[in-house]
Amino acid sequence: MPAIQGIQLSKSYRHYQVLRNVSFEVAPGECYALFGPNGAGKTTLLKVLATLQKPSSGRFEMMGYDGIQDRNQVRGVLMMIAHGSYLYSELDAVENLRFAAGLRSLSPTAREIKLALDRVGIGAFADFKIRYFSEGMKKRLSIAKAILIRPKVLLMDEPYSSLDERGIAMMNHFIRESLEQGAAVLMTSHNRVQSAEVAGKAGVLHQGVLREIAVKDLVAPHELF
Amino acid sequence: MIRWIRRFEGWFGTAGAVCITIGLYFGLVASPPDSYQGEVVRIMYVHVPFASTSMTAYAVLTVASLWYLWKRDSLVDNLAHATAGIGVFFTSGALFTGSVWGKPTWNTWWTWDARLVSFTILLLILIGYLMLRTFIEDKEREARYAAILAIVGAVDLPIVHFSVEWWRTLHQPLSISQRGIAIAGVMLYPLIFMSVGFYLLFTYMVGVRTQMLYLKQLLEAKKGRLLGEVRL
Amino acid sequence: MNFFNVIRWLAWKDLLSEMRSRENISSMFFFAFIVILIFSFSFSMDQKTAQELMPGIMWVAFIFTGIIGLGKSFTAELQNDCLENLQMNPIPRGAIYLGKLVSNLLFMLVVEVILFPLFVIFFNLDIFEKIPLIMLILIAGTLGVSAVGTLFSAMTVQIRAREVMLPILLLPLIVPVIIGAVEATGGVLQGESVLLYRPWIELLIIFDVIFTIVSFWVFEFILDY
Repeated sequence: MPAIQGIQLSKSYRHYQVLRNVSFEVAPGECYALFGPNGAGKTTLLKVLATLQKPSSGRFEMMGYDGIQDRNQVRGVLMMIAHGSYLYSELDAVENLRFAAGLRSLSPTAREIKLALDRVGIGAFADFKIRYFSEGMKKRLSIAKAILIRPKVLLMDEPYSSLDERGIAMMNHFIRESLEQGAAVLMTSHNRVQSAEVAGKAGVLHQGVLREIAVKDLVAPHELF
Repeated sequence: MIRWIRRFEGWFGTAGAVCITIGLYFGLVASPPDSYQGEVVRIMYVHVPFASTSMTAYAVLTVASLWYLWKRDSLVDNLAHATAGIGVFFTSGALFTGSVWGKPTWNTWWTWDARLVSFTILLLILIGYLMLRTFIEDKEREARYAAILAIVGAVDLPIVHFSVEWWRTLHQPLSISQRGIAIAGVMLYPLIFMSVGFYLLFTYMVGVRTQMLYLKQLLEAKKGRLLGEVRL
Repeated sequence: MNFFNVIRWLAWKDLLSEMRSRENISSMFFFAFIVILIFSFSFSMDQKTAQELMPGIMWVAFIFTGIIGLGKSFTAELQNDCLENLQMNPIPRGAIYLGKLVSNLLFMLVVEVILFPLFVIFFNLDIFEKIPLIMLILIAGTLGVSAVGTLFSAMTVQIRAREVMLPILLLPLIVPVIIGAVEATGGVLQGESVLLYRPWIELLIIFDVIFTIVSFWVFEFILDY
């Protein structure tokens, strides 16, 4: 059973059709890297899969749950890492993690939280308010959140953005670890080389149409679109 | 449903115009003036239908909103949107004619009685509804939020009416009974014609506007498909 | 139970953020103070008229201040896309509503409790023994404004012209609260018989119950399609 399955998903805003009959499958333990020009609809696809937007037609399934009828169960298995960091500025790193875990009925111990922060490289900033965090630090904190929550499905919108070299390596390390634990990852990216290291499948979304490509095409010299 | 509207709207429109013409004739020409208010009472023939149609408009809006939230049928949403717009017309008419009636009768353009205040709040809710719909870009969210506003307003209006009435009896216990005119039999006929005529007219107007909104949505969807195919 | 946990987490998060930045309460307080000053300058009143008009002035100040607080409550969630995060979590929407309602209500009440003594001083009021009743009216009236206001704040935060749409939509609907609160406050302060002002307090409570329940039900459709 695929972890994420898109079945003829279409989405249009007023008179602009963003997604056209997009179909794809991501198995548990697999990472799908999605490429495409700016404005192609990659973020829209992620938003639909994250149950934030209703598709105009088509459906999708996540871990067997229907993406529209069983929205709440879908939300329980997925986590999104995107441009907005979902962090509260006046709270510090530890408090933000506690809050995020609390919303999922989890209560990580102080030790678990510290370990997660150390693993993503911001252990020293545990008591700093998010107001003082850079974008890269916020991204790392999102990974720490994912480490604590261990979602079965990870949706990532340009995960490498804002990260420095070590950060990108840490991100790939985290993705590989999640895949080993059976999670499915769907990520959008503009970084072909780095995503090729973890991707098991790849695709290009262009003018609303999804076209699957071979992972080795990612590192080939020609342009994708 | 849209085909039914197309087929019958003409009948509604004509029937409405006929009824109103008959009503106006009886009301303005053939019926006697009121013993107290004189000729001015003839405004009642317009004011009362405006008011009752306006309340019906809001009732339709509420039912359509509930239906939309349940079934998510976009045509029902178009109906709700249309009703709100037409409702603004009839509510404004009710308030305007009420005010015009009030001046020569009680020497005041405005008074804080429960009915006038409730109608004003109703008008404000309808205008807020239309503004809300204009400011939301996502059309699915627009329909949803508008429906919520209509429903919350529907729960609120009776409470508004009730509390203003209480408030008024407290502060102006000797208020003049404003609509307490005895309606003589001969006045009833034009009133009935006018009311029925207004309802028919209302149905016609809502039918036309609903079609307009529905077609506009269809057009946008079509444009999207065409534009997509001719992409550069 | 997850439901009450969510409410607690949300309220905790808002209260903690506010305690640290004090941004909302201080701006609300100063706004209310300025409104009161302007009223005092606009109407030259003798002592007796001032005392009669005081409940109206007070509630106008509180309501406009409340609208500012209500607006800020959800615009704070727009930072870092936190509102999207709440939508993506498997938490009941009603719990989000109640969590926000609790923090909105508390913030408004804090401002009111600080300002009320100023009213007593400026308007030379006799409040001996009337304080419990005044507290009751403050709570009942503020709850009425917050119950509907939290709903509409969530609705308007995501749309254009949000600062002006919130009062446009909210004010007509809370007319019964304004009437009830002003009449009840006036009745209590003027020392009128309990029979005269009790119905107004009952009106406020009925309004609160009805609209908290209605807004709670309807909130499902605000943060979810």
